[in-house]
Amino acid sequence: MLCALALTVLVAGWGIFDTAGLAAFAARQVKIVLVSRGWFVMLTASVMLLVAIWLAVSPYGRIKLGLDDEKPEFSTASWLTMMFAAGMGVGLLFYAAAEPVTHYLFLSREMEPRRAAFLALTLTDFHWGLHAWAIYGITGLVIAYFGFRRETPQLISAPVQQVFGVRPWTRGVGWVVDLLSIYAIAIGLAGSVAMGVFQVQDGIAALFGFSPSGLALPLGVFAVLVLAYLFPLTVDLGRGMAVLSNTALVIAIALLVFSLMAGPTHFLMNTIVASIGDYAAKVIPNGFQTYAFFDEPVAEWFQSWTLNYMVWWLAWAPFVGVFIARISRGRTIREFLVGVLLAPTAFSILWFGVFGGLAFYKGAAAQLDPAVVSNNINQTTFLLLETLPFSRLTTAATIVAAFLFIVTSVVSAAYVLAMFSTGGDQTPPVRVKLTWGVILGLLGLAMILSDSVSAVREIIAMSAGPFVFIVLVLMVCLLKALKEEKPGRTR
Amino acid sequence: MNALLDTLLNVMVFAFIGLLIWLYFKKEPADSTRDDLLRIRTEEKG
Repeated sequence: MLCALALTVLVAGWGIFDTAGLAAFAARQVKIVLVSRGWFVMLTASVMLLVAIWLAVSPYGRIKLGLDDEKPEFSTASWLTMMFAAGMGVGLLFYAAAEPVTHYLFLSREMEPRRAAFLALTLTDFHWGLHAWAIYGITGLVIAYFGFRRETPQLISAPVQQVFGVRPWTRGVGWVVDLLSIYAIAIGLAGSVAMGVFQVQDGIAALFGFSPSGLALPLGVFAVLVLAYLFPLTVDLGRGMAVLSNTALVIAIALLVFSLMAGPTHFLMNTIVASIGDYAAKVIPNGFQTYAFFDEPVAEWFQSWTLNYMVWWLAWAPFVGVFIARISRGRTIREFLVGVLLAPTAFSILWFGVFGGLAFYKGAAAQLDPAVVSNNINQTTFLLLETLPFSRLTTAATIVAAFLFIVTSVVSAAYVLAMFSTGGDQTPPVRVKLTWGVILGLLGLAMILSDSVSAVREIIAMSAGPFVFIVLVLMVCLLKALKEEKPGRTR
Repeated sequence: MNALLDTLLNVMVFAFIGLLIWLYFKKEPADSTRDDLLRIRTEEKG
């Protein structure tokens, strides 16, 4: 606990007092690791997806995550909603149109614009699709399986000692695994806080018609955010947080439906259907694509986007994994994996089909300048909404949804961090939760001071690097434990 | 990038993959794990 605290406080302090130094250090480290081990990150994500598919269709899929007479705690709809809100959150709002347009700008240098737009959507779907959810799914499955079926504490390290016994080396590995999990969660969440604050500040600027300059507005938004999330940490809100999280997702879905109806509906539907086909055809090959025979700009794009995303999902895996495990008790492995893999992926394809398709349509009609992603990526979603009716209302809704996503994520993360740092205590003391709330705030502040989304992404990637090894150890623990199960048997 | 550093970083990955394969096939003493964990948890509670 003290080591984890010290490590995260050290990074926060470094970020606050020498923001440029931390960003430059992170960029250097990430570059070295991603150039050298990019193949390993892609291979890991693909292997996790293939293992998840195999477990879902194999007889092991019938094994229940809990006792055989247990029923799921949440309805399937509620389960899927909570899972999706936890896994994607504010990133979806941020990158809705910005990511496809960024890829388009890069690809259109080399290919015909229509082809570039379509490929940009497929690549975005790939980043937010099955591979991301396989990383979450396998991590969550390991925690749920060992927690509910083998009754281990809900710690990332617990499966190691359960499978390999309590030995000095498993204790050592377990300690390191928990330390790195805490560190990855704290940095990953703080990065999302910073991105959310950037988006909210540009939303407020768009709503009231001024240009944000300096750090006064983001720091003001940040201060309100900290006040908003510290209170829920002092009381047991129980399902209250689920309600807030679902509210954010309902607003996001309303924005999706509104944009589909108010925009060029038939074009967007064509885009979505075409994206489904292209994604399905390329998902497995893209998972093994390492751009070995491409030139330097493509390699740099691959590191900045595809590899960075995979590492980002790894950074979030311990947090989202614990969360989706907690809400999945009583489901079978098959139900769990099918739900975790398919539902969020389908929603992501819909989401980027609508907002990406709309951005391309408005760009072709000269109503949206694609160069916005180079000038100020935070504004992309708001500039796109301005091309539709009721833009003040939709802008305000986006700000509220972003704010709610951040608050619920930080509250949940502080809870998970407190649980990890108290040895798996399901009801950690308020002071521990508050401590983590404050540390997440400090880390978020460090990233806001960097005033750069790419710096935030690199700091996250640096923190999550070791987790690529941890998820594979966890997967081996699961596969080894499953060998002892008679497939299809329930307890 | 420094070729030696690149080689070292990749050799570590190869060693890790080898370790994973060894861990997967390694035989564990029957039922010792659960007993160990139960004993440790009891000690911690006590």
